[in-house]
Amino acid sequence: MQIKIGYLYPDLMNIYGDHGNVLTLVKRCQWRGIAVEVVALNPGDRIGHGEYDIFFMGGGQDREQVMVCRDLQEAKGEDIKREIEEGAAALVICGGYQLFGNFYRPFEGEELPGISVFDAYTVAGKKRCIGNVVAKSALGGKLGTVVGFENHSGKTYLGDGCAPLGTVTVGYGNNGEDKTEGATYRGAIGTYLHGSLLPKNPAVADFLIEKALARRGNDISLEGLDDSLELAAHAAAVKRAVKTH
Amino acid sequence: MRTGNRLALALGKGLGSTSRLFKVGGGSTLPGRAARILSPSLVPNMVKELPLGCVLVTGTNGKTTTAALLAGILDRAGMTPVHNRTGANLMAGIASALIKESDLGGHLAGRIGLFEVDEAALPAAVAETSPRLVLVNNLFRDQLDRYGELDTLASLMKEAVRTLDPESIVVLNADDPLVASIGRDLPHRVLYYGIDTDRYGSGSMQHAADSTHCAECGSRLTYEYYLFGHMGQYKCPACGTSRPESRVSAVELEMVELEGTRCRVRHPGGETTLFIPLPGLYNVYNVLAAMSCALALEIEIGTIKEGIEEFKAAFGRVERVEAEGRHMLMILAKNPAGLNEVIRTLTGGAGRKNVVLALNDNIADGRDVSWIWDVDFEMLRDRLGKVVCSGIRAADMALRVKYAELGEDSLAVEPDLETALDRGLEMVKPGETIYLVPTYTAMLELRRSMVKRGLVAPYWEG
Repeated sequence: MQIKIGYLYPDLMNIYGDHGNVLTLVKRCQWRGIAVEVVALNPGDRIGHGEYDIFFMGGGQDREQVMVCRDLQEAKGEDIKREIEEGAAALVICGGYQLFGNFYRPFEGEELPGISVFDAYTVAGKKRCIGNVVAKSALGGKLGTVVGFENHSGKTYLGDGCAPLGTVTVGYGNNGEDKTEGATYRGAIGTYLHGSLLPKNPAVADFLIEKALARRGNDISLEGLDDSLELAAHAAAVKRAVKTH
Repeated sequence: MRTGNRLALALGKGLGSTSRLFKVGGGSTLPGRAARILSPSLVPNMVKELPLGCVLVTGTNGKTTTAALLAGILDRAGMTPVHNRTGANLMAGIASALIKESDLGGHLAGRIGLFEVDEAALPAAVAETSPRLVLVNNLFRDQLDRYGELDTLASLMKEAVRTLDPESIVVLNADDPLVASIGRDLPHRVLYYGIDTDRYGSGSMQHAADSTHCAECGSRLTYEYYLFGHMGQYKCPACGTSRPESRVSAVELEMVELEGTRCRVRHPGGETTLFIPLPGLYNVYNVLAAMSCALALEIEIGTIKEGIEEFKAAFGRVERVEAEGRHMLMILAKNPAGLNEVIRTLTGGAGRKNVVLALNDNIADGRDVSWIWDVDFEMLRDRLGKVVCSGIRAADMALRVKYAELGEDSLAVEPDLETALDRGLEMVKPGETIYLVPTYTAMLELRRSMVKRGLVAPYWEG
């Protein structure tokens, strides 16, 4: 068994420790004996048909986000969409999440077009949403909680073509209004949560790995790992989120 | 002084001695906060009493150490600084330092103001203290949850610096592209410092690097070598902007493990060889920064060298403590760049290191702990012995250690810092060293516990 991760713009979109998500995917594969390869996808690089099983993109600062937006439109967007339709998994965080929607509308200046993996759009907000987040989620048909840290001023609204990742019980989530957090469409997950997200939400990590394996025709359920430390960190973060709210 | 100022001063002084008396702390922010509410013009009026004006020290990493280094030099030069030495670096902290050093008539015991200032508080500090010198040491992602983005922060700082008196001097780190950009097209006198040797340079960057794009045109910078995070020898291939030439430069470096660094510094007056009694490349930058400020203030180089070589670290930043025959070395690590440098230091020397990593997420630490995933813990592979993770977010820290595949044999999670300190002491033999690496409020708590055990003096007596 082997999977290949396409790490989108690691030099441009790497704010807030998002790199930990890729590390978590890699380790959780290796610990199960699944071979895994990570390939950096920089501006100008192309995405071959069926080449990648999981795409990852983190958040970035405004200037980097504009550069990435341009490259997605010119070089990668259509191919990523096709791959996700064909079963590839994806995790995109914060700025990456916004660019996977339909568009981002700033206060002034031009709208940034997204690649429309998610039927969602983002508008610039006046208030920065910062703090710990806890959301109830039914990702992969399993009920559970997702915990992380949000830091965004964009407000994201979902359309009918995607589902939220979860319902916020602590924090702001997508827009601070409708209690939704993140978006899912097929094997793709978009979210505002840093933390890094995957280390202390191992169920989300394993969801992505299972999707990636299924795409390669390995329809198996994953071997369990000793997640006692992961679950302890998850529980401590939830407790802290409630306390600092 | 006006009556309002006098009243505010009296109130502040009262609160300061009360808080020290009742041991609720050193009175490092409360007096200033209260006095400034009562009289907003207090700081601008009080600094007028300083015959040698004010110096502001800012930057993400090393403010407290740099200001303490400079304070030692100023003292030796007979300039008697009024200094917010406890590291309380918002306006309230500056006001508190002034109040503490003044009599009830507003007369100050010191002759020059030396204030470390939080990066985001720089505009307010410039407006209220009219400094004759501003130093910016570096800009890293620190507590973005408070500041917003780094580019925005840099442009606010640049605007503030532009409003300085035309006679004021700006001292900047040439090796940090974002910091260096503050000096571009500035009408003021700018003194750049930096490291001018690739001895400890590397071809690749640590994960904690932040500013890798040209501040002028946004293109990706190219580096001949990286030194510490995004600092190094850089240029922009698109618009030609490059690292400005530094006038105070370390041209030779020789690190002596955890003891310190020998270096040769070239400066406008010639060359000086000195020993920096603090570990790591980041302290070389702190020393170059303090030297540059002292030179700009026209202090003689012999005095500067003495001040640096006889320096004792600001409390908690690097602190050596003896306990039960064991050595404890506590090194503060409050953000990815700082922690990366601590890790680099720990990889030196023989044998495996036993460590207590303490991660808190109080407001002063930053609520967001995701920054630990930007730290290259992987550098410590095969270098660690026993590991205890502690603090409010002990489990998060333990996960980071686990995913770096370190300390598998002996990784303990002990959120209570007091207990973690005991565990740390138990796991090394007499004569051995235990390394404590805490975030800011975890450091304060560990230190309180050391005070209680009679191992160190409280910081306000230090």
